[in-house]
Amino acid sequence: MNDEQKRARFESLLLPLMNDAYNLARWLMKNQEDAEDMVQEAYLRAFRFFASFHEGTNCRSWFLRIVRNTCYTALGARELKQNQVPLDSEIDEIEDTAPLPSVSLSKKATVESVREAIAALPVDFREVVVLRELEGLSYKDISEVSGVPIGTVMSRLARARRQLYLLLADRKQDDQL
Amino acid sequence: MNCQECEDYIDAYIDNELEVAATILVKQHLRGCSRCQQLLEARKAVGSLLGNPQVRFEVPDSLPGKIQSVLPASRSDVKQRSGSWFVIPWFSVSLAMAATIAVMLSLVFLNQGWIFDRSRANALAEEVVSSHVRSLLATHLFDVPSTDQHTVKPWFDGKLKFAPPVHDFSERGFRLTGGRLDYFNGREVAALVYQRNKHIINLFIWPSESGRNTAAETFTKDGYNVSHWERGGFAFWAVSDVNAEDLRAFAGLEMEQS
Repeated sequence: MNDEQKRARFESLLLPLMNDAYNLARWLMKNQEDAEDMVQEAYLRAFRFFASFHEGTNCRSWFLRIVRNTCYTALGARELKQNQVPLDSEIDEIEDTAPLPSVSLSKKATVESVREAIAALPVDFREVVVLRELEGLSYKDISEVSGVPIGTVMSRLARARRQLYLLLADRKQDDQL
Repeated sequence: MNCQECEDYIDAYIDNELEVAATILVKQHLRGCSRCQQLLEARKAVGSLLGNPQVRFEVPDSLPGKIQSVLPASRSDVKQRSGSWFVIPWFSVSLAMAATIAVMLSLVFLNQGWIFDRSRANALAEEVVSSHVRSLLATHLFDVPSTDQHTVKPWFDGKLKFAPPVHDFSERGFRLTGGRLDYFNGREVAALVYQRNKHIINLFIWPSESGRNTAAETFTKDGYNVSHWERGGFAFWAVSDVNAEDLRAFAGLEMEQS
């Protein structure tokens, strides 16, 4: 493949993924400017490593993994430490079995309140929620993008959804006051 | 299934990531348990709020241009260069095209079978690996849990149109732990489950189409080691997270038997 063909192939496979890439970066970085920088950086990296992409495998997972890793690198060790789920809480098998507050989530919950709730999640949880709920990836693809086993994807998703429910239910009660 | 198990599976259940047998168990449990029903409703409520397409962030208008600018060799360069076609005399264009077509045709004839086999093997490998993952995820490894090959083999009788070879290799470190029916590649296949230390090996068996005997080919797919061979009229696919060396050893043992 010569350079022009490579470039054309790259564009036809990867430019359609810009929405997905930006959405993921925007959620991980939490602001537009950083997200745009990350997506540019990710495209550049993907172009450099395009030879390592195997035709016929899942291009979206391959590229989102690059986006994700670019963001994590930028977020840096310090911020990651603050936001990451403490190790023991993830290993901890005992789920919080307290019954869920019997609040029916209003369908009218605003886009803004839902976004705030997602943004409030620790980055590891936010990542699986975005990949599953907003990007519609399978557990297997999420596991590829985030580099954790499928079992961990499942448990993070469970905890993230529970947390989102509690956050949104609280808000609902506040609104009623 | 108890409430704890139901809770463990509820997300995979909602996401359609749960294997059929476990899905049925979750459904049964939900029918009789209001607490878990409530959990299900809560999860669904969250899901429908997140499902609003407006929650996603749209690409800002400025971004596509920025991306084009960071990539080497912009698209307009490519267009300019391809424009130079028009200055080439027409006879050389047709000559070049004829030559290209001749080369392509010969390549097609030479490689057609090979390419077909490859892409098909790839698709199969994909199915084999996802079936392996599903079996571990839903902890639905067995329909017949038994370490006795004389129990497992007859179990398949009447359930499959073929009698898969079943061997236990406990004394060589690969313990037969059971079998189940699986379905992929448009047919029912036998899945035998072996254990190597803490690792699970799924061995899928179905009648081979070619009837050839082939050497075991071992490769990595999605982080799992996969080994494939054909022998004695059967196609064998072994998949596991054991290291490639162990999987080759396992394939070797199987091939000795058949």
